Amino acid sequence: MEITCEVNGQPVTVEVEPHWLLADVLRNQLGLTGLHLGCEYGVCGACTVLMDGEPVRSCLSFASQVAGHQITTVEGLAVDGKLNRVQTAFINHHALQCGFCTPGFLVTGTYLLQQGKLLNREEIREALSGNLCRCTGYQQIVDAVEEAVNQQSANAVECE
Amino acid sequence: MAYIGQRMTRVEDERLVTGQGQYVSDITPSGTLHLAVVRSLHAHARITHLDLSSAQCLDGVIGVYGPDDVLPIMKPFPPGMVDARLQARMPTPLATGRVHYVGEPVAVVVALSRYIAEDAVRLVEVNYEPLPAVTDPVAGEYADPIHDGADSNLAAEIAYRVGAGADALKDADLVVQTSLRLGRVVGHPMEPRGIVAIYDSEQQNLSVYAGTQGVHGFRKSLADMLGLSESRIRVVAPDTGGGFGLKTRIYPEDVLAAYLAMRLNRPVKWQGDRYEEFISTNQERDQWHRAKIGVKRDGRIVAVVDEYYQDQGAYTPSGIIVADTTAVSIMGPYRVPNFEAVGKVVVTNKVPVGPYRGAGRPQGTFVMERLMDHAADALGMDRVQIRRINLLTPDQLPYQNGISSRGALMTLPYGEYQKTMEQVVDAIQYEQYRDTVRCEGDWRLGIGIANYLEMSGGVGFEGAKMRLLSDGRVQIATGASGQGQGHRTAIGQVAADRLGLPFEQIVVVEGDTAAIERGIGTFGSRTMIMAGNATTQAAKGFRQRLLAFAADLFEASPEDLMWQHGTISVSGVPARALSLAQIAEEALTRQQELEYEAYFDASGPAFGMGTHGVEVAVNTKTWEVKIRQYRICHDGGVIVNPLLVEGQTIGGTVQGLGTALFEALIIDPDSGQPQNASFLDYLLPGAGEMPDFMITEVEYPDPTNPEGFKGVAEGGVMPPMAAVCAAIEDALKEWHVRADVLPITPNDIFLQVTRGGAHETRSI
Ligand code: FES
Ligand code: FES
Repeated sequence: MEITCEVNGQPVTVEVEPHWLLADVLRNQLGLTGLHLGCEYGVCGACTVLMDGEPVRSCLSFASQVAGHQITTVEGLAVDGKLNRVQTAFINHHALQCGFCTPGFLVTGTYLLQQGKLLNREEIREALSGNLCRCTGYQQIVDAVEEAVNQQSANAVECE
Repeated sequence: MAYIGQRMTRVEDERLVTGQGQYVSDITPSGTLHLAVVRSLHAHARITHLDLSSAQCLDGVIGVYGPDDVLPIMKPFPPGMVDARLQARMPTPLATGRVHYVGEPVAVVVALSRYIAEDAVRLVEVNYEPLPAVTDPVAGEYADPIHDGADSNLAAEIAYRVGAGADALKDADLVVQTSLRLGRVVGHPMEPRGIVAIYDSEQQNLSVYAGTQGVHGFRKSLADMLGLSESRIRVVAPDTGGGFGLKTRIYPEDVLAAYLAMRLNRPVKWQGDRYEEFISTNQERDQWHRAKIGVKRDGRIVAVVDEYYQDQGAYTPSGIIVADTTAVSIMGPYRVPNFEAVGKVVVTNKVPVGPYRGAGRPQGTFVMERLMDHAADALGMDRVQIRRINLLTPDQLPYQNGISSRGALMTLPYGEYQKTMEQVVDAIQYEQYRDTVRCEGDWRLGIGIANYLEMSGGVGFEGAKMRLLSDGRVQIATGASGQGQGHRTAIGQVAADRLGLPFEQIVVVEGDTAAIERGIGTFGSRTMIMAGNATTQAAKGFRQRLLAFAADLFEASPEDLMWQHGTISVSGVPARALSLAQIAEEALTRQQELEYEAYFDASGPAFGMGTHGVEVAVNTKTWEVKIRQYRICHDGGVIVNPLLVEGQTIGGTVQGLGTALFEALIIDPDSGQPQNASFLDYLLPGAGEMPDFMITEVEYPDPTNPEGFKGVAEGGVMPPMAAVCAAIEDALKEWHVRADVLPITPNDIFLQVTRGGAHETRSI
């Protein structure tokens, strides 16, 4: 079957089998290999993408489900080659080591940022608890998300 | 500017945060065929019948292969880490006749897509005649041998003795004995193992992409198994999603994929999934100890004695490195005049044991630190006080503890161990804590302290090859490939300093056999010690090489030249100067390669001491354990990049907390079947359960290498288990809970409490 959706701001039409997973189609058919498969059953979060702005596990979604929807992957977080706040904060805080889990954390972090709420560390830890990382021990990820999210909210408050 | 010591952000990161990383799973050359593995469903069985025909008939299947179909590679893997004490048990790429663990490869399918390959796996018919599974190393030692042709399941016996050994216990005022158990931990790098093999039949060259920790060793093993010259194989470790020791050696799937790529003359890719990670990648910890400590009434240690079993699983892919390192790690930073350790490595019907972060160090630390706590309790002494009494003091250092390891007598260099421990004791307010109320509603609070001695590096060599690139940048290639440690940044910092160049002018290349002829790899926290010092050595030679070349150009003698900020000039004649880019241009026209390669040889391991302190809260209704505070003081030697060191320390500590509180693969004792082989049932530490860590570093340069570097990646994982167990016991004093079995779960605590304080809990 043929599906049409929007991926990282671009309209995309792709031929898929009904049982193909969104993760596989993004990776294999569209070459967006940023998202990773760490478990393929919804626990690790490495495959997280945004669908209409909400985080979803692409390993648990069929490609056919996203017809007509907007998908954002890690490749779509930077705008015009400029890293978003979460990406920059990840670099500054050494929030990644091997980087395999990182796309999932960045997508989740970007979602939190887009919510525009101030979050304390405990809330951030809770919000990140659907993503596993085996390298960092999380602290520097929390540092990065804290800085990105709260900087953003602080700016928003100033503007109001 | 000095780069060593700076908190520099990583050159690796920009690609990785934009999704541009290229991990093995991201690499799929056109025309790639996909391999999937038929794995044993039994822990121990004879294969009576293997029928590949239905699988072969599935549309899109290229081939299905049993052991008879891949005869040229059906030989045992060369033993990894040969040791005279060991009778190695090495697998063949596919099991023949008998299977030895749930997950052992039995056959493989190659198909046009992974979907089809996995479907075809289900169509392969294997008939098994189950045999009794050996699942307990103690009973297993005398059970029927699980390997054809072996006399027994005892693969090795390890023995160390210092002073009078166990005989010295008679001189003690008090002897305390305890049984300790560490669960079977699955290392779980977030990237499961995988390989892409590409054969060029015209050139007869094989290229593989594999997330290995040592490309050169991988190439050697592959060459041996395929009967191909090493010069025909290129191994590239692209971005690699964590290794932690599990990716040091070659696995059956690697050889099968490479062999079939050659045979089918098409790229072949195998990408393991999480379940395969649970049932086919080396596992670790999994030891049983019966340990004794003899002390004088004043708390001084007289002797430490340990008898232990390593539940080795079915094979010995990395020899006895884990069991051996356990023994040599026990004494830690303490003065132990008499010591004896006897370890038995017993093969069982489980996934093989191979190094996982720490590789025995965490086990040894757990034994010693638990003994210290129990001895203090028995003496009615404070648990920190007994450590104060027994830690080595500066006037006793350097200290030889009487054990020979990694080819050298273990020599602990200067450090101020008491000070390191006191920093943590003060930071966590241990003294005040003892006298305060330790309840908050349903929660009881407790505190635990554990010390460790981190042994790093110390074996073999590692190289650095410098080359002037055409734009004047310097490329450094090393065989020590990274899996997230940030080598490119850290080695770049060393190189920039030692070459006197801006950091931006350095490019580090790792994980490619084509970039440097020889190498060993990344394990045992060795890279900064080994590749770092090799970089320093190479810098010297490389400068001389460039100066000699420039001297020719200037028609001057090298002694009259100056090297400053990447410019070479004639002393006193500043107008006569060439930048490295100009020199590169000259070299190009003269068709000269400006390169220099140096290899650093280890002269024994480095040692750094550290302390962890933890405060836990235990809920007296649910027995849930929460970590409230965590303090670390750690000697990292000369620290190249504190940002990266903190990352290693925290990451390691969280893995240790996983071993302490959550992680163990539970194997049914009768059938040998894993009971919790999924992330839904086997819990990894998550962001929500983990605390913020407060870390202080002390820097005592290591005397065994010119730069004074020490390894820092394994210190974190060594003491959390003992510290957490101590804290739980402290919190639950009232119930006499004893936390000697890992992981210590709410269920274990509950059972102990209901039994009125048990000393032995379940066995996993
Ligand atoms: S791969 Fe989707 S959650 Fe793990
Ligand atoms: S950075 Fe390696 S798993 Fe998160």
